[in-house]
Amino acid sequence: MTSRELLAVALLLAPALTAVLVALVPRGLVTRVALAGALVTGGLAFALAAVALGDPNGLVVGTWIVVDPAAGLLVGVIGLVGLASVLVSPAYLSSARSSLVPASRSEPLYFVLLYCFWAILLAVPLAGNLGAAWLLVEATTAASALLVGFSGKARALEAGWKYLILTSLGLGVALLGVVLLAAGVPGGGLGALSWHALTTYSAAESGALVAYLLLLAGLAAKIGFAPVHNWLPDAHAEAPPPVSALLSAALLPAVLVVVWRCERALAPVIGVRTAESALIAFGLVSLLVAVPFLWQAMAWKRLLAYSSLEHMGVLALGIGFATPLAIAGVVIHVVGHAIAKALGFYAATPLLAHDPRAGGHEVTGIGRTRPALGASMGLSLGALSGLPPSPLFVSEVLIVAGGFEAGRSWAAAGAAVLLSLGFLGLAHALLETTVGKAHRREAGRLPGLRGVGVLAAVSLVLLLVLAAAGFWLPDTALVDALRQGIS
Amino acid sequence: MNGAVIWTLVAMGLVVVTVRRRSMAVGFLTAQALVLVGVALHQATSGADVVAAVVLAARAIALAALFYTLVARTRESRPVRASVAPLARAGAAVTLALVLTWLVPTIGLASRNAERGVIALVAFGMVAVAVRRATLFQIMGVVLVENGLALAALELPGVSSLAIEIGVALDLTLVVLVAAVFHERIFAEFGSGDSAALRTLRD
Repeated sequence: MTSRELLAVALLLAPALTAVLVALVPRGLVTRVALAGALVTGGLAFALAAVALGDPNGLVVGTWIVVDPAAGLLVGVIGLVGLASVLVSPAYLSSARSSLVPASRSEPLYFVLLYCFWAILLAVPLAGNLGAAWLLVEATTAASALLVGFSGKARALEAGWKYLILTSLGLGVALLGVVLLAAGVPGGGLGALSWHALTTYSAAESGALVAYLLLLAGLAAKIGFAPVHNWLPDAHAEAPPPVSALLSAALLPAVLVVVWRCERALAPVIGVRTAESALIAFGLVSLLVAVPFLWQAMAWKRLLAYSSLEHMGVLALGIGFATPLAIAGVVIHVVGHAIAKALGFYAATPLLAHDPRAGGHEVTGIGRTRPALGASMGLSLGALSGLPPSPLFVSEVLIVAGGFEAGRSWAAAGAAVLLSLGFLGLAHALLETTVGKAHRREAGRLPGLRGVGVLAAVSLVLLLVLAAAGFWLPDTALVDALRQGIS
Repeated sequence: MNGAVIWTLVAMGLVVVTVRRRSMAVGFLTAQALVLVGVALHQATSGADVVAAVVLAARAIALAALFYTLVARTRESRPVRASVAPLARAGAAVTLALVLTWLVPTIGLASRNAERGVIALVAFGMVAVAVRRATLFQIMGVVLVENGLALAALELPGVSSLAIEIGVALDLTLVVLVAAVFHERIFAEFGSGDSAALRTLRD
């Protein structure tokens, strides 16, 4: 076993063991054990990400584990968002008024589920074959559905139910694609589903195309691509804020990496242009569906959820364009979206304590009544809208430029128009949220506000560094390695 | 696999889409899974194949026990009527199956009958989720899709992977367990396992 593989195994064991420990320790120690486990897991994730991204050509490609730049990027993002989600969870739990289970069991159950979800999420980009990746994606559904419905309220149950049924059905369709691919790869068995082996698909080309489309359509339901995104706004809006952050900033791009690996592996069989066109189509449709919602006045977390739909569309376009510019854009977009979106969701805990109506209605003038909270929400929304110098502005420019570079002028032009419209919608929401008409002016301590303030300061620095990175990233070995994939 | 067996499996799937009583649907779903177990044992050529069949049997029995427990624990005061009549449901299911069969080219299974059977079961599962209002029937729709995929796995030429098959069975059981938790909570919250009550979140 190489040092990278050992690090990957340790990374997967750390959150799994923490989940067991949290379930076993006395109630008084649950939070401390959870926080300690988060520091260890986060540290291991950053170490593996640094190793994988620092030497992008030193791949580990096994039957079970793959450590490549794509895995490194996602492990880093999932580690960062998971760590922050655990850190802000005590504030959420202290303000939560109801849960699926009696109050005495609420905290341990929450952390056990959160750690199971985090552990499975970390494993998804490291999965060495399509079968294992599918199993892990399906397992994320089981762990996270209970978290979505954790408050036990009627709306949360509805959101959790939709999420569970729609994504399970989607993953059933994706599994049919997996089965069809297994039928066409020589040798059979687990090895037949490794990312390498998929490139040797030898049955009819039409069979590979059908399998790819089934996989894409099935996993699209989990990524939240339109038109199979119905669960996404409900689940993101009703889940506890730290879980919403993990769903949006970590789960969606993690599943997108599985799609990316399938696309890279099957492109030689079904044709590069065809494989990429399918992703571009999903990207454009997602943007087209998301933009009108970004213009509507809606509850804070729902607005962030529709922004996720938009940003997953942008990522699909970047992967579909596949030029160095576009892939550099994808890298910046994945990280920038994760930081900005997670911050936005974390701000929802103090926001809902400040104004409980914010769960179902738009919020305005928070910057006037609660400047620190307004600043955090403004930073999140400003970055997500692509307001310069947001890294998402840089990434979107790179992706659109990559589309023109790839000869996809119509798609790139369409994306540019839709992104501009989306920007205008979110910019309006930004102004209304921060300096619009204020409704409540209550003093008093808000749960989690201090933590959100600290995270906002850290996020600001990270976002500026990321925006600067956009200028040199397209010409780096990292982008070359990402474009090449593991084949 | 014998064509008659495949079409028996498909007919059982159609019953799940159309039948009114939850307990009867559970019975047909379980019988369908047990037929698949019989076929898996009949076709087994190695120890791994036998283990895979045993896993499939364990899954079928565990899910049947869970479903019957749920039916007993969540008795409806009045039947949850589907928004679409049984004949219309059957028509929708068969139409979707025919359209998908027409759209999807040969996919590499052992026979064209098997391919049609798999596509029909996947289509029936989707229709069950879409048109049945009772939450328990929606879970059964997901299981119906998975039974279709189990049929596909049995009809794959070449060696299948035991690890993946066990993983799929465990994953499905886990998802159904979580769905069962939701079903009970929904029943407790709304006084019925009627998904029509779950339509408040809209934009």
